[in-house]
Amino acid sequence: MNKLSQLIMAPIKGSEEFAERFLFHRRLLVLVVFALATLFLAWQAVQIRPDASFVKMIPTSHPYVVNYLKNRDDLSGLGNSVRVAVAVKEGDIFTAEYQQALQQITDELFFIPGVDRAALKSIWTPNVRWTEVTEEGFVGGPVIPPEYDGSPESLDQVRTNVLRSGQVGLLVANDFRSAIVQVPLFDKHPDTGEKLNYQALSEQLESLIRDKYESDNLSIHITGFAKIIGDLIAGAVQVVIFFGIAILITLVLLYLYSRSVSGALVPLACSIVAVIWQLGLLKTLGYGLDPYSMLVPFLVFAIAVSHGVQIVNTIALESARGADSWLAARRAFRALYIPGLTALLSDGIGFVTLMVIEIRVIQDLAIAASLGVAVIILTNLFLLPVIMSLVGIGKTATKRAALAEQKQHSGWQLLTWFARPRGAFTAVGVALVLLGLGLFQSQQLQIGDLDTGAPELRPDSRYNQDNRFITENYSTSSDIFVVMVGTENEQCSSFETLSLVDRFQHYLTDIKGVQSSVSLVDVSRRVTSGLNEGNLKWRTVSRNQLVINASLSYVPAGLMNPSCSLLPVIIFLDDHKASTLTGVTQAVGQFADQYGSEQIRFEMAAGNSGFEAATNQVISTAQYQMLAWVYGVVSLLCLLTFRSFKTLICIIAPLALTSVLCQALMASMGIGVKVATLPVIALGVGIGVDYGIYIYSKLSTYLVQGMPLRDAYLNTLKTTGKSVAFTGMTLAIGVVLWVMSPIKFQADMGILLTFMFLWNMLGALILLPALACVLGCEKSTVTLPKKDSRKQETENAL
Amino acid sequence: MGSIQLKLRWLLSATLLLQLFLPVAANDRLTTPAVKTVRASQALLLDITAAGQQLIAVGDQGVVLRSSDEGLSWQQIQTPFSVMLTSTFFTDEQRGWVVGHDGLMAFTNDAGLSWQTGLDGNQINRLRLERLQELLLEAESLSDADPDNEALLERLDLLSWQVDDAQVAQEEGPSVPLLDILFTSPERGYLLGGYGLLLRTDDGGQSWQYWGDRLENPDSFHLNAMTVDHRGFLYIAGEAGLLFRSIDDGVSWETLDSPYEGSFFAVTEFDHQLFLMGLRGHLYRSEDGLDWIAVETGSGATLNGAYSSQDKVLLLGAGGTVLQSSDGLRFKRLDSGGRSSLSAAVIIDHKTVLVGEQGVVMLEANDE
Repeated sequence: MNKLSQLIMAPIKGSEEFAERFLFHRRLLVLVVFALATLFLAWQAVQIRPDASFVKMIPTSHPYVVNYLKNRDDLSGLGNSVRVAVAVKEGDIFTAEYQQALQQITDELFFIPGVDRAALKSIWTPNVRWTEVTEEGFVGGPVIPPEYDGSPESLDQVRTNVLRSGQVGLLVANDFRSAIVQVPLFDKHPDTGEKLNYQALSEQLESLIRDKYESDNLSIHITGFAKIIGDLIAGAVQVVIFFGIAILITLVLLYLYSRSVSGALVPLACSIVAVIWQLGLLKTLGYGLDPYSMLVPFLVFAIAVSHGVQIVNTIALESARGADSWLAARRAFRALYIPGLTALLSDGIGFVTLMVIEIRVIQDLAIAASLGVAVIILTNLFLLPVIMSLVGIGKTATKRAALAEQKQHSGWQLLTWFARPRGAFTAVGVALVLLGLGLFQSQQLQIGDLDTGAPELRPDSRYNQDNRFITENYSTSSDIFVVMVGTENEQCSSFETLSLVDRFQHYLTDIKGVQSSVSLVDVSRRVTSGLNEGNLKWRTVSRNQLVINASLSYVPAGLMNPSCSLLPVIIFLDDHKASTLTGVTQAVGQFADQYGSEQIRFEMAAGNSGFEAATNQVISTAQYQMLAWVYGVVSLLCLLTFRSFKTLICIIAPLALTSVLCQALMASMGIGVKVATLPVIALGVGIGVDYGIYIYSKLSTYLVQGMPLRDAYLNTLKTTGKSVAFTGMTLAIGVVLWVMSPIKFQADMGILLTFMFLWNMLGALILLPALACVLGCEKSTVTLPKKDSRKQETENAL
Repeated sequence: MGSIQLKLRWLLSATLLLQLFLPVAANDRLTTPAVKTVRASQALLLDITAAGQQLIAVGDQGVVLRSSDEGLSWQQIQTPFSVMLTSTFFTDEQRGWVVGHDGLMAFTNDAGLSWQTGLDGNQINRLRLERLQELLLEAESLSDADPDNEALLERLDLLSWQVDDAQVAQEEGPSVPLLDILFTSPERGYLLGGYGLLLRTDDGGQSWQYWGDRLENPDSFHLNAMTVDHRGFLYIAGEAGLLFRSIDDGVSWETLDSPYEGSFFAVTEFDHQLFLMGLRGHLYRSEDGLDWIAVETGSGATLNGAYSSQDKVLLLGAGGTVLQSSDGLRFKRLDSGGRSSLSAAVIIDHKTVLVGEQGVVMLEANDE
């Protein structure tokens, strides 16, 4: 153990001396290098673009997604389309004005770039037809008759055609008060190869359709994945405003805290530099900014400020003890180098553990956040003291620091109660009770999304209102789970395949949460019935392959692939709650086990709900994996730094309590464990450990000097405690603003991170000394990882 | 424990091996039991009948439903098949029949609580081939005796073509659906189906004979519905205006002049009048089965089925159409509460229970 710790800690300790010498003797060079790097990275950072990729949000190595990716090209016609519902507020859709608007909207959509024009569908497009069985066979025509002129007679004709087109519930609402334009999109334009620009598309839908046609009597409702992404990007951009607000508040707090202009501006500037570096590096490494990692700059900023505050605080103390600005900065650097580095390393490693979750956005977030933390080491641990050594802390701040240290009866006195046995046992007792309650409540914690509609957005967002409108008035839900039935080439329409899929779809009607399902089988059944004069008694899969083939002479896009080896079964679900998805995947799995074979394979899963099911499965295993990793790594680091198990418990136990309480909070607020909230605990632990490390390292300094725990604690509070409390505040302010984000998951992350930052702070200030007292850390057990006399001499010599 | 598992595994591989040599595929819907679902009474149902106080409804996926409370609640019965069932008929409270696709016929002796397969398409194919071959041999010997008889030669040609056709059908498998059942006595019954299929039993379903050759149906049009009138005359209605009558208890059949060239889906007798209906709302009425008078109903929706009781006749059709008449002349449209197509109806204790696309529909009381 000792050897190991020496092995790891020795280079860090060794580097301290070198770094200190280099930084404080080559200050100009350091500044120039930093300035140049900042310029370059700022130039990079401004070029970074919002980026949202569908594939990045799903666990690509999960078997469901692997199955999907294998069949991706064949399934392209399936998911990516936008539905535009045009609704009337008074009357119904059979008026000349309404039909004119619908026609214009259809035309308008036709010309938007990225739209698959041939597949565009509304009752005004020629590909939507009515058919009827007559004595001579099928007859049919377009829903809008060629002689349409807006007269009452022709509107009557439209009404008749709509009824016999079978589009009620699909393109025309069940109550005849709205109609849909179905707009399929190209992910990649077949001619130009250009990738679909979701942001531009979403903006065009707003400006060309919604803004233009919405009126007193018409409302426009738009849904579809492309619109969600568009709204997400638009919403995520709004967080830039929050960033500005966070900076302003932090600046004010910093000034109030340090009473020094330089003490406020320099940490702020260094923290902004950290953000610039982080963004610039991301861009240089080829990353975009997706709505998840959009939050990382906030975190980086907050962490940077909190470390900056520690340094400024120490500089003020050293100045108060009489050091000049150069020496004060240098001493602060030395005092905080190891705890700071340890804290930042554990932050970074805490974030890196997120890499075990095989979902790209989380991994990207892990990279972005660890990168950010690494950058903070440079900007706030190195650059900040160098700048401070040049500008100095100011007289007011020095005086205040001196005053604070001498003050005997500060507010902190109250907290020392927790370092005495009675208080300590009380605190630990309360913590245990809370732990019990938290564990009990966190049983209710659910995996996945619990709200209806697009879970990324708020339930009352425009998108989700639109989505609700369409779900209520049409027969198809927006929660789609696709089972891919794979066969040999040309076998997807064989009697064996179709009759088994027919059975499968019938079996599905019994599964809770399944609304309906659609596949090639439905086409075959309906057309077979049609070929037999529409007789219901023929609405089944014929056993005669020739009849089947005749029934499939026209197949709507997306129900089979060109080589006829894939037959998707599209299942519409009531919602995408985790329990619904689990029920469906289990049911499909059972059917596949019982009836699937090498020739007819039932493979899950595509569709938004399919991916969500896969994501839920990944997350439910990853959440424990991730906790094990993050706690394992952070504990190891603490153990290496402090070389004491008691210390480890003092630092980790408050974090664990916070994690449990955070889960309980999620359970009671109805926030599920999902892509957005999973990283929160790792982030919370990673950052929360900072407090413990700073407090404990200071506490142990005083304990080593032989102080009783109470006094050591009071002294710690007066110096580090103040900055820890302040840090907790700044961190919380950095994230609490997300609560206002139009994006639901950002708001969820905001609430949870704020909670974790504040609780971790309280844990470090109250529970840590209480535990130290209960465990009896006072005696000689304390070791200190730094400060040998050699240093003192060198410093004095300089 | 282990040895039992081993044995089971052996048994399993033995059955798997067997299946390789059997013509029946592993999951053939003729022999795979129907899936039991709670929503079965809301899925496609095609026929309904009363067996005493019990109601029996049949439909898609081998679903047989039973209700003891006039259609309020339904229980799905375990069935050893999952083909679409198209028709059901009870000769008395205990004994009943269902037919369906793939030539399936099954029966019950316990009022519909359990069902047993009686016939499938493979057996029907064989019955048909054997009957046609028999006829061919007969015709050959007749023709041999009288080689110059043109009519006999023509019949020989037709029969040998039909035998070929039946042979091909046998190779293709059990692909012909049965569409209707009628028993005129506990012993004598008929099964009707696609492509001119007609079978008859004279021993209460113990054995069946291919009967389709007795109808003049050279184009093999579907036979959709059959009824018996108060005089004991039998009527069969089918695709493309097909209409047959037998006045000698089914032994010989005559082709009637059809009032319509579109398909008929149902034929029923009410108040000593026959009603014939089908595609696009066409409805005809006749006193004697020979002269048919068109009945104007005001609806162009295809009529799929009919039910006649003592005092009224109900016609069921596409798009939720329910037409009711108490005199056979004027039909009134009733509201079925939806637009899904209906297939059959039954009236029990003044309650009207309909079945169709969306399963069971209870018709609101509408006594005038």
